[in-house]
Amino acid sequence: MDFNVIIDNLPFLMKGLFTSFQLAFFTIVLSLSLACLIAIGRISNKKYVRYPSAIFVNLLRSNPLILIVFWFFFLVPLITGRPLPAFGSVLIAFVVFFSAYFAEIVRSGIQSVGSMQIKAAQSTGLTYPQTMRLIILPQALKNMLPALVTECVIVFQGTTIAYIIGMREFLHSTSLVAERTIRPIELYLFAALVYLIICFTGTRIATLLEKKE
Amino acid sequence: MSLPLVEIKNLSLKYGNYKALKNINISFFPGKCVVICGPSGSGKSSLLRCVNKLEEFDNGDVIFDGQSLKSAKNISQIRSNIGMVFQHFELYPHLSVLNNITLAPIQVKGLSKKDANFNAMKLLERVGIDDQANKYPAELSGGQQQRAAISRALALEPKLMLFDEPTSALDPEMISEVLKVMRDLADNGMSMLVVTHEMGFAKDVADEVVFMDEGKIIERSSSKSFFENPKSERAKEFINKVLLKI
Repeated sequence: MDFNVIIDNLPFLMKGLFTSFQLAFFTIVLSLSLACLIAIGRISNKKYVRYPSAIFVNLLRSNPLILIVFWFFFLVPLITGRPLPAFGSVLIAFVVFFSAYFAEIVRSGIQSVGSMQIKAAQSTGLTYPQTMRLIILPQALKNMLPALVTECVIVFQGTTIAYIIGMREFLHSTSLVAERTIRPIELYLFAALVYLIICFTGTRIATLLEKKE
Repeated sequence: MSLPLVEIKNLSLKYGNYKALKNINISFFPGKCVVICGPSGSGKSSLLRCVNKLEEFDNGDVIFDGQSLKSAKNISQIRSNIGMVFQHFELYPHLSVLNNITLAPIQVKGLSKKDANFNAMKLLERVGIDDQANKYPAELSGGQQQRAAISRALALEPKLMLFDEPTSALDPEMISEVLKVMRDLADNGMSMLVVTHEMGFAKDVADEVVFMDEGKIIERSSSKSFFENPKSERAKEFINKVLLKI
């Protein structure tokens, strides 16, 4: 065992880790915003809003992430005739995929607040969008925070999928170094440790938030 | 006599196959305190919620202050003229008492934060809980929460106040503090529709009593004659049950 390979290649590995963080961060921010809209669509009493939202969620949740990534990387360019940049296409795939999962968390969060709060807010003359924004979503967010943090951990783990289209996220960078230095054990141990620290921290935060309730 | 503040015309409401309200026709006049009573499931809360269209009614119409609710495009604006108080208070748990009260004046009426705060503090003083302004609803007793909820409804300076069983979720010793606030409102000429089982309030404070059963209005009388001389058998039975409940 020679862990010096890690120190020697640390800048390269950290660049990969940074890419993973970037992908996770933008995925979380964008898919959570999209998820709020989809979740509100899911509970709408208008069928032409509710049905498409439900179809979207169920379609995406019934497919593996890797297939969605394939679609955007290989198949969309076939249809449109021009390739998407790797980061862009992976990001779109991730946002589409994870927004379906986030949407279900947001939906159950909204429904946990209770319809009487909506009635109370509307009785004071607030419009439906104002009611959602000022009364329901802030309360829902508090209820769904543990589940959201857990899902963020899953997103971070999911960034490894970007490996398959050659994006240099952390796992890919690690494997490149492993192949070059012929030190796979040290490098993959290091990778495992890094994922463990990050994901365990996330799960601990989720548990603490749950206890705070 | 002045024009009615609320005019309910041929109003029907269904929950699935269950008919909650059956062809209701009734008018309420400004400055009056009217108690709506009746056995549970008689449709009194449903009727109240139709007055600000929190329930989508199937048939008929409600005219509030000359505006038809059925065809109203600006229902939020109409609702801001009707205060409502709920059985379980429904204060916003994530906001302080003060912010519960100032939210709608700021968002709906466009008041400045300063003015809204000033008005809110006056209201809280009026209901006797100005020392609780910066606490969260969960830190207040039930009676204090309901008084805060009444302040929230009053903050929009409504033309009508709806009370949906405002004391039913309260411990007995807290009921009087809420009823006192309501009596004070009635004495000051507020138009009020009150769904309640508090027959003492109905007798002493209300101008009129409307008695409902099975989604219909059975009778409407001055509160004095309702208790002394009810017209319908059903009302007689009800009064005997609630007054002799010892």
